[in-house]
Order: sequence, then C-alpha cells, then structure tokens
Amino acid sequence: MDLGVATSGRLTREFSAVVIAGFGNEYCYVYSPSLALDLISDNRLVPLTRNNGSEPCPKALIPVANKPMIDYVLSWIEQAGVKGSCTSSRLILPSNTSSLLDVLLICPSIHRPMISHHVHSGLSTLHIDVQTYDESPESNTGTCTLLRHFASRISEDFILLPCDFIPPPSLSLSTILNKNRTESLSDGSVATVCWFAAPQPDKNSLVEDWGSIPPSVPIVWDDATETLLQVDTADDLDQNSEELELRMSLLSQYGYSLTYPRTKLSNRYQDSHVYVCRRSILDLLHEKKHFDSFREEFIPWLCKIQYQRTKREKYGHILNPITNVITQDVALKHSTLRAQKKVYSKSVLYQSNDADASSPFDPESTTDSSSLRVGLVLHPATAGFATRVNNIHSLLDINRRLLAETTYSLPTDSQSRSLIDPKAQISSDTMIGAFTQISERTTIKKSVIGKHCVIGKMARITGCVLLDHCVIEDGAKVDGCILGKNTKVGAKAELSRCVSQAGYEVGSGESFKNEKLDVSDWTAGGDDSEEDEEDDDDDGDEDEEESDDDDEGAAEDSD
Amino acid sequence: MAPKFNAGKENLLADEAEVLQAVILADSFNKRFRPLTTRKPRCLLPICNAPLLDWTFESLALAGVQEIFVICRSHPEQIKAKIAESRWSKTGSGIKIVPILTAKETFSPGDAMRDIYTRGLVTGDFVLVMGDLVSNIRIDEVVKVHKERRKTNKDAIMTMVVKESGANHRTRSRADSAVFGLDSETFECLHYEPVMGYPPSTVASIPREILSAHPDIEIRNDFIDCAIDICSVEVPSLFQDNFDYLDIRRDFVHGVLTSDLLMKNIYCYVAKEGYAARVQDTKSYESISKDILSRWTFPLVPDNNHPAGHLYEHRRGNKYIDKDGTVILARTSTVGSKCLIGSSTKVSDNAQIISSVVGQNCIIGEGAIINNSYIFNGTTVGPGCVIERSIIGFDVNIKENTRIDKGSLVGDGVIIGPNAHLEAFGRLSKKRGIDTVDDEDEDEEDDYADSEEEEVEAAQGTITVNLGSGSNAMLWPQSAPDEDENDENVENAKNQRFMRLGDSASDLAFSDAGSESSDEESESSDDDSDFDKRLELPTSSSTSLDLPDGSSTDGIAESEFRNEVRLSLERAFTEGHSVDNAAVELKTLRMASNVSLSRVREAVVSAIVERIQIIDGGGIPQRQEIAHVISRWGPLINKIGGVDPVETIAALQTHCASSKRLLLFGQILAALYQDDVVEESDIRKWHQSLLSQGLGLSPGVRTDNIRKCWEIGSRMIQQFDERDSSEDDSEEDGGDAGNNTDGNEQDENEGEDEDDSEDVEDSSGED
Repeated sequence: MDLGVATSGRLTREFSAVVIAGFGNEYCYVYSPSLALDLISDNRLVPLTRNNGSEPCPKALIPVANKPMIDYVLSWIEQAGVKGSCTSSRLILPSNTSSLLDVLLICPSIHRPMISHHVHSGLSTLHIDVQTYDESPESNTGTCTLLRHFASRISEDFILLPCDFIPPPSLSLSTILNKNRTESLSDGSVATVCWFAAPQPDKNSLVEDWGSIPPSVPIVWDDATETLLQVDTADDLDQNSEELELRMSLLSQYGYSLTYPRTKLSNRYQDSHVYVCRRSILDLLHEKKHFDSFREEFIPWLCKIQYQRTKREKYGHILNPITNVITQDVALKHSTLRAQKKVYSKSVLYQSNDADASSPFDPESTTDSSSLRVGLVLHPATAGFATRVNNIHSLLDINRRLLAETTYSLPTDSQSRSLIDPKAQISSDTMIGAFTQISERTTIKKSVIGKHCVIGKMARITGCVLLDHCVIEDGAKVDGCILGKNTKVGAKAELSRCVSQAGYEVGSGESFKNEKLDVSDWTAGGDDSEEDEEDDDDDGDEDEEESDDDDEGAAEDSD
Repeated sequence: MAPKFNAGKENLLADEAEVLQAVILADSFNKRFRPLTTRKPRCLLPICNAPLLDWTFESLALAGVQEIFVICRSHPEQIKAKIAESRWSKTGSGIKIVPILTAKETFSPGDAMRDIYTRGLVTGDFVLVMGDLVSNIRIDEVVKVHKERRKTNKDAIMTMVVKESGANHRTRSRADSAVFGLDSETFECLHYEPVMGYPPSTVASIPREILSAHPDIEIRNDFIDCAIDICSVEVPSLFQDNFDYLDIRRDFVHGVLTSDLLMKNIYCYVAKEGYAARVQDTKSYESISKDILSRWTFPLVPDNNHPAGHLYEHRRGNKYIDKDGTVILARTSTVGSKCLIGSSTKVSDNAQIISSVVGQNCIIGEGAIINNSYIFNGTTVGPGCVIERSIIGFDVNIKENTRIDKGSLVGDGVIIGPNAHLEAFGRLSKKRGIDTVDDEDEDEEDDYADSEEEEVEAAQGTITVNLGSGSNAMLWPQSAPDEDENDENVENAKNQRFMRLGDSASDLAFSDAGSESSDEESESSDDDSDFDKRLELPTSSSTSLDLPDGSSTDGIAESEFRNEVRLSLERAFTEGHSVDNAAVELKTLRMASNVSLSRVREAVVSAIVERIQIIDGGGIPQRQEIAHVISRWGPLINKIGGVDPVETIAALQTHCASSKRLLLFGQILAALYQDDVVEESDIRKWHQSLLSQGLGLSPGVRTDNIRKCWEIGSRMIQQFDERDSSEDDSEEDGGDAGNNTDGNEQDENEGEDEDDSEDVEDSSGED
C-alpha cells in the first residue's frame, strides 16, 4: 500500500488504448500489370461499407452477431481494466479521473457522428475520446501516420487495437498486457504483439467473387522466449519470391548474449493488430517518417532491431527501455523460470571459453543489456476461434461461429417477441434482433437477423447475415447472403451467396448468385456467360447443402 | 553385450529376418590432419589412446549391428591389420567385419557410395557412419523408428541422426555446420543449408514452397550432425544415378530435398540424450577428447569399455592412469585434472601434465610442461620442454628445452630439438630420406602421400627455421590461400582455420560482425530499402583480408579473358571464320567469364589492331594492309553484342597509345570510318570527350601517345569541316575526298540501317 502511494503521483495510468476505426481499408500488396508489387489499400468489406445513400456505413459499426464489431474490442479492453483506476497493479485512484481518457478512438471525420453516438450511448464504462482525421475512402492514411499525428495525446505506454478483432473468450487482453509488463521490466522488451491461428478457409465454401482471402504471412519466432523475430513482408517476397531469407545473425550470433538457434517458422498465423507498445515507440515513429503501415512496415522493421547490431546502436537509445535488468540480473541469477536465461538439458555443453578464444568484443560493454525484443503471444487454433473481420469471408464465418455458440436468442421483451409470428419456423441456431417482424410460415435457419427487419410470409432464409432494417418480402429465398443495411429483397426473389450494399433493392422475382450487389452497377447484373457456368456448378452444391441442413459449413461434401 | 542385443533384435525383426548392416566410410577424403595422416589413415589415429575406428566399432556394437563393411581407400593394409586384431572381429563377438578396398580414385563419400552400389554390398536398411565417430547413441532405436516410418512411407529413404546442442557448442564445427529446416511434427527434413565459418553466410534461405505443405517448420541451427545415417537400400542407387553427388550432405541431401523428380523424403532423428560427434578436424579432436575425459560419452569412457581394451583407473578430477601399474609418476610431478596417461609411461620430476592425453611408453622429461596436448605412443619429451595445445604423433623425440606452441601437429617419428622453437600452428613431418625400411612395403600405395611430401620438401628451401641440430623434421608451409581457390569449398584456407586446433579464428569471426554492421549501416541510412543493402553487400562485406585477393582474382580473370579473346580471334583470323561466327564465339566467351561489354570491345579492338602487320616503309602497302584487315574484321567490332562507336575509338586510342602501331592510328581510324564502323559524329564526340584528350591521366609516355592520337583525330575533324564547307562547290574539286564523301553518305545511311537491324538481332539473341 505504501509502495502504491509512493508511486501514484507519477504513474497514474499504465496503458492507454488506441483503437483505430478506419474505413476498413487494408494495405495489401497486389501484383500490378507490370508485375511489380504495389502497395495499395483495399477495402475487403466492400460493398458493405459503401455509403447508404448519403449516410456513411462505418466498418466499426457493422454488426457481428447483432453487435457492432467495435463493441467486442471495447469490452475486451474493459475486461482487461485499462483504466487509470483499476489496472491490476495500481491500488490508488487517481485524483482527477475525469481528465483521463482511457480509450483514444481514431476514426475518419465523416464517421464521427455515428461512432461517437454509438460509443457514448452508455454501453461502456470506458472513457472514450473520439478523434478524427480527414480521409476519404479512396485515400488511405496508415496507422503510423495516425499515431504520429496523435502522439501528443498518448502520454504513456499504449495498446494499439483494430476495431475488427473478435477475440476468443480464452484470450484475454490482460494475458497480453501481463506478458508485456513482465518482459518490459525483466529484459527490456519494447512491444508485445499477438498473432492468432488464422482460420483455415474452406475451399468449397469460398465464393470467389467476394474477393480473395488475404495471403498468410510467414513469421519466425522463438518458442522458448516467445519472441517475434521476423515477419515476412511483401518487400521480402518481392525481392526473393522463391526463398524466405533468415539472417544468420539471428540464428547464430557470436558475441551476443541472445541467440535463437532454434526458431520456428509458420504461416499458420495472422496478425491480430493488437500491439502493446512502449511510449518510446512513438518517438521511434517520429524518427522513421516514411513508415505508413504499422503492421506491414513498422513491426517487421522493429523485429530487426533486436538482432541487427547497427540498428540496435542507432535506435536503441530512442527506445530507451526503462528496465531494471541490471538489478534484476543479480536477483534472478539463479532463476530457472526466466526465459532469457535458457535452461539447457543436461546433455548440452557450453563452448569452453579458452583463453585465446574470447570473443573480440565484450558483449557486456558494447551492447546494453536490454533485449529490445518484440514479445509474441501466439493464440493457437485449438484454444478458440479468433478472427479479424476484415473481409467478407471472415464476417460470414465469425457470424456462423458465434451462432453455433449461442442458442436460440430471440428477443426477450414481449413487445419485440410479439412481432414474430408463432407459425414461423425459426431454428435454434438463429439470432434475431429486436423489433424485427417475421411473418407466418417463414423458415429461418442458421442466420443472424438484425434489428427492425421486416420479413414477409413464406420466406426462406438460410445461413444469412441480415443487417438492420432489411426487408424481405413474401416468398423470397435468401441463402448464404450478407445483406447490408436497408436492403430490400422483393417478393419471390432468389439470392444465393450475395453481398449487398446498404440500401440495395432486389426487384421481385429477380435472382442473383455469387455476386456483390452494388448500388452503382445496379443495371449491370450478372450478364456474364462465365458466371452462368459457375452458377450451374453452384446449383449442384446448393442442392446438396439444402439436403443436409444441420451441417454448418456450406457444401463441403461436394468433393 | 552384443549377443544380448542380437536377441533383442531378433524379436524386434521377427517378421523380417534381416541382419542389420552398417557401412563405415573409413576414409576422411580430406587432409585436415596432415601430416599426422600421411602414413596412416585418419581412422587409426588414436583418441584417448584408442584408434578412432575402434570407437566407431564400439558405437555400432552398442546399436546391435551384425555386419559391418569398412570402406577403406588409403592405407588399407593398416586398416585390415587393425580390423584383424580388433576384439570385435574375434569369433563370438556376434559381429562380422568385412574390409572393402575401394579404388584410389574414390575421392569423395559419393564415390564410395557408388562403389557400395556396384558391389551390391547392402541388402536392406543399413547404418552409414564415418570412420571417425564417437557415439553412445542408441542407433538401434533410430533404426526402429526408421523401419516403422518405412512401413507407411516408402519414400522415406534416409534418417539422419542429429544431436541437439547449442549454436556455440564446442564440438559443433563452425566451419562445417548446417541449418536444418524440420517439420515440427514429423521431423521430416525439409531444408538443409550448409554453413561455413568462412565465407560467412549472412542469410539462410528457406524455400517458400515448403511452407505450403508444411505450415509449421522449425529452423534449427543447434544441431551437431553426427553423420550417422540410416539409409534404405535405394540410397546407394541414387548415388549411382546422380553421378555428380560427392558429399552426402551438401550434394545428396540437398539434391534430394530440392529435386522435383525424386520425390523422396529424408527425416531427422533429433537425439536429445546421448553423445555423438565426429572427429572431423583437429579442433573437434580436442573437444571430443575433452568430452570423453569428462565422461559425456559414458558408457564409453577410459575406465570402462575402453575400445582398445586398456584398463584405466579413474581418479578424482577425471584423471585416468593405466591400471597395470607400469606408469611411473615422479613424486614431484603434477598431473592435473582431465588427464589420461597410458601404460609404461614415465613422468619425471617436476613435469606438469595439464588436461592432456599421453600415450603408452612415453617419457616426459624433467620439468616439461604439457598443456592441453595429445601425445601418441612412444614419444619422448625431453627435459624442460613446453608443449601447448598440440598433437604429437607416434615415436616422436622432442629433445630438451624445446618449445612447441599451440596448434602444432608433429608427425610420426620426428626428432626435434634441442632448444628448438616451433611457432604456433607449425606442422612437422619426418624427411623422407631418413625413412626406415619398414615403410618399404607401403611405398607403392603411398604415392599420393609421397608426392605431397615431395612438394613440402621442395618448399623447404624457402623455409628457414631452427628445428634443432639433431632434427630430421621438415616444416610444412602454412597453407597459403591459393590464388585460384574456390571459396565455396569447405576446405578453403580460411574456413580451415575454424577447424584448426587452438585457432579461435576470432579475426575472421570479427570481420564477419563488421561486415554485417557495415551493410546494415548502409541499409539503415537509406531508409532500409533492402534492395540497396543487397546491392552494397558484396563490396561492403569484403573484409580487409580478402580485398587484395578479390582484386587480384579479378585481374587474373580479366587477363585470362583477354588471352582467350586473342586466341579465339587468332583462330578466326587464320581459319577465316565468318564475322558472325566469330561474334558468336565472343559472346559465349563473354558470358563464360562475365566481363563487361567494354572489356570485350577493348579486347576485340586490340586484337584486330595487332592483326595489322606493320609494313616497313609504310605508304600504300601499309594502307592496303590496314584496309584489308579492317574491311575483313572491322564489322566484328559492332557485332559483339552492342554498338558504341565512341567507345571503339577510345579503345583504339588507348590501345595504340601503348602499342607499336601508334603511327597507324590515323590510318586505322580512317579505315574504320571508311567501313562505317565509326561515323563522323562519333569521331567528333570522341574528340570532345576529356578522356580522349588525355586529361586526368598522369603524365607519361602513354599519355603523350594518347595526346598524339587525339591530335591525329583533330586533323581528321579539320578535314571533315573543310569538306563540309567545300561540299557545296566541290563539283570539280572531285578528287578522292569528294568521291569518298558521297560514297560515305550513302554508306552511312545503309550502315545505320544495318546497325539498327543488328541491334534488334542482338537484343533478341541476348534474351
């Protein structure tokens, strides 16, 4: 308690959270016609994030299982207690809580009213400061640029989060924070990142027209110390598309205390975009002004600092890790649990340091002893499903998975309940939002229906995600679709595996398959002969799928 | 022990009554132990007083091997004799040992494997080891695993045994290690990348395609490769099919893993327990000796299961003294910890033996100090001698007050001293003339060794070292880096230093770190564009050591290339090839030696100029000669893969400036002009360039000559100018000049067309 009092004056808050809620534009590298890799930003949730008339559709507010996706992140933060008053190690309430902002939410200025309204609507106990930047969906501002811009508002170590990470219950933010707390003090790690096992896409259920699955990124890490060592970037891929190059200085570094002779390489994992960083990272960002993307450019570069000597010497002082390594070294000399001091099995011998074989420079004197390493939390696939909702596939996937976990969540209040006709057949793995009206003899299976939807008679909805205010008229068949806000499906229309922009209207009797329905190409509906062929193929699949409807994956058994 | 294993084995292999075979490659195929191995195969060098081959037999016996083929190349008689007296070849040992003599032409393990194939030695899965193995790993477990795997996967042709250690383990060779890429679950070896101490590699390149089939890969740089391979019967035949495989790891493993056609798998067995290592160089000789003395190899330790059958008493501090009581240790002598002393050895007063191995029948004189050294049987060390970190062969006589510095190797039978001083890393062997008769029967097969010794002897003249009055020794020259040495080879001189006893090679290691930092500096200074870094890497990573090497090899390559061009053109000249054929030949040459186009041009121009014969008296015959040669061969200049007439003139100028044909410059240039090899505008351009005026060159005869050429050029340009001005009214002026100009202008146009078409051809050809 006394200790807490002594430090409370200086350390009122441990972390602040920075949530980036952009347009959903992702940096990605594509091969341009000239066969060179170009960094472009690509919005993979299009058309769901296109404007609904004049009204924007922020990505952060796209619901996942009827909850805007940003709520998942915010509640994750809340659970970890990133608040000045209740971080696990602080006992003293800061005197002026009101002036402290827990979460800095950065969004494009045109999204501000909606997002601000949503996050301040009383759901969360967090103090959220919504800041804006000017951006249009076409231009793209990278996270690094944003952080540089808002650096003055971040005065302590920070957690950088995306708005679209859906964390599994088994992975709590405190796990990541605790790892960062321990390691930054014990050996001077500068950042902690979290990668999760990327969902394995099911080839059969993929609809190619929805856009491609982002390619997996190979990473190299050390298992014993849980250190991220290398992230394969598109630059690397461009330079050597055949081989992945690992610096030998990483694998064997004569003269350094830290070597990683046994590393792991995998492309199973995906970056969660959750980064716990020291404040000094921001200073480093100011040094390296050309970095734009945090995930694609900065983190891979940051990994290199830990084993490349010149980088270390050059940037080590900027990172300036506050660490008590030296004092801890004495105390933990005999600790067997400390990761850095590797405990070798009995059969391993150290190289005998014979008198003339002493290394040419003394590691103690030339390098500071802090490791400057990037800690890594790996979330394996077996420990629960995690995903980032940054493309349509993952949006559908996470909705289906969340459905599988919940049971029969119809609205509970009687008023909303009364809107649902008792003669409607609603399977237990369906979620229905409040004030949604469902008419008689309609069948709904494995679907998420948003709020205020109106669903007519004899409609069939299977494996769909309907956002709020959708209207499905009588006798329409909707299968495996994601319908944006305010989508209208006319009577007896048939939709199969389509994605629609907000406000799209499907005329009665029309049918679409495997399409992205944009308001702009309203008239240019599938007149492609190739697509027709594909449609034929898919027809077969669907038939089979309909026949076995208790299997959640779509048409895996076509092979 | 062995029968017990056999019983176990038979139960294990009840369904397949197969004897477990092993093949020992008893030859090292390298010369790292010279001169200790000039008269003796490496596998008979003793380590801890037992020949390496016995340690290997012992290791295999532990694994329950029933049939061993020993492939011997050099000194097979000695190996045969050794096998005959080995306790494992006695009846009842349960092991059948068959020595196989292979041809002298077997220069690599790959050749040996091909020999195994042609002889049809192996019938099933077999254990392949090298003849310098010290191991206590239960190879039978590995064989079991291998056979299980073979039941499900017929393509799993080999299992390599690797020992987990640290990256900087003392027994792990820095000169010859490897990075393994293994599948995390199955331990299938997916990638093998050899790593050398020098030249240091900066990156390990893992092929991306393996990630698609194996998402989880472990990259291990901490394995000691024990060179124990469990091979299936296909392995020798694969060697036979791929006759270019030399090394088992670098060629065979790498080849199998990267081949799209073979579709075979190689697995690793990561031994976590046990000990296995190869005595592959003098450095590992030391570390393995120390490992044995420190009992890492238990149960194979000197006081128990000593492979040569000696009995040692294990004393406190890991001291081993022969048990038969014949060792005489003077009261005032000191024997430190981790020492081994063979029978009948006498250690005199005040002698000190520190962490060393002394053979049988040795005499250590008064006050001698033996520090971290290995002394074979029958050696006498005189009083007051100091021996540091060296290996001393059999029956060496080191006379009093001799000092032998670290890293030295002293061959069998050498006499050195008194009062001599052998510098660090010295290598001594006995002069051949003084050989005793007992070597005679081996003379024939020792041709190879002899020739090498001859070389050394020939070099004796240049070496003046005082090896003592009674010495019969000759000092081997330090292995100077050969000019044409291929750095890619494991046996390159600098890499050898990592294998040398007592050599930390810290200067090489340091230059590695330095180069690394320098390339990173460049990298970080220019915004980390990795591409630039890569471009700069070759220059910045060159150490101070190899800079002169690099430039000299460049020079050599270039002069070689010039020579080649000259020869090929001479051939073309004399045999009257067509210009096109000659051009093709030049292009091939250029690709082969990778030189820039301008070098080719220089070489061609100078060759053509030299082709012109100087005719005394000059005048018209000379002019005809020039015109003849240039009209015949001039077009070649523009067909070598690119057209740059300005450079042609410059090359002509520089060549003429340093040649006897200086006076012909003007005429040659004119002839080139006539033949449209160069144009007027080119001459003007050349004339304007600073270099052509000899500016910036140090004054000298050559510069003067260049200057002269330039003046000739100026005169020519004057003529052009005059002609241009008089062209309008030069109807009657007629004469040579006028005709020439007209003709030239037409020709010029045609020439341009031709050039263009040539360009197209060339570029397409290069693609």
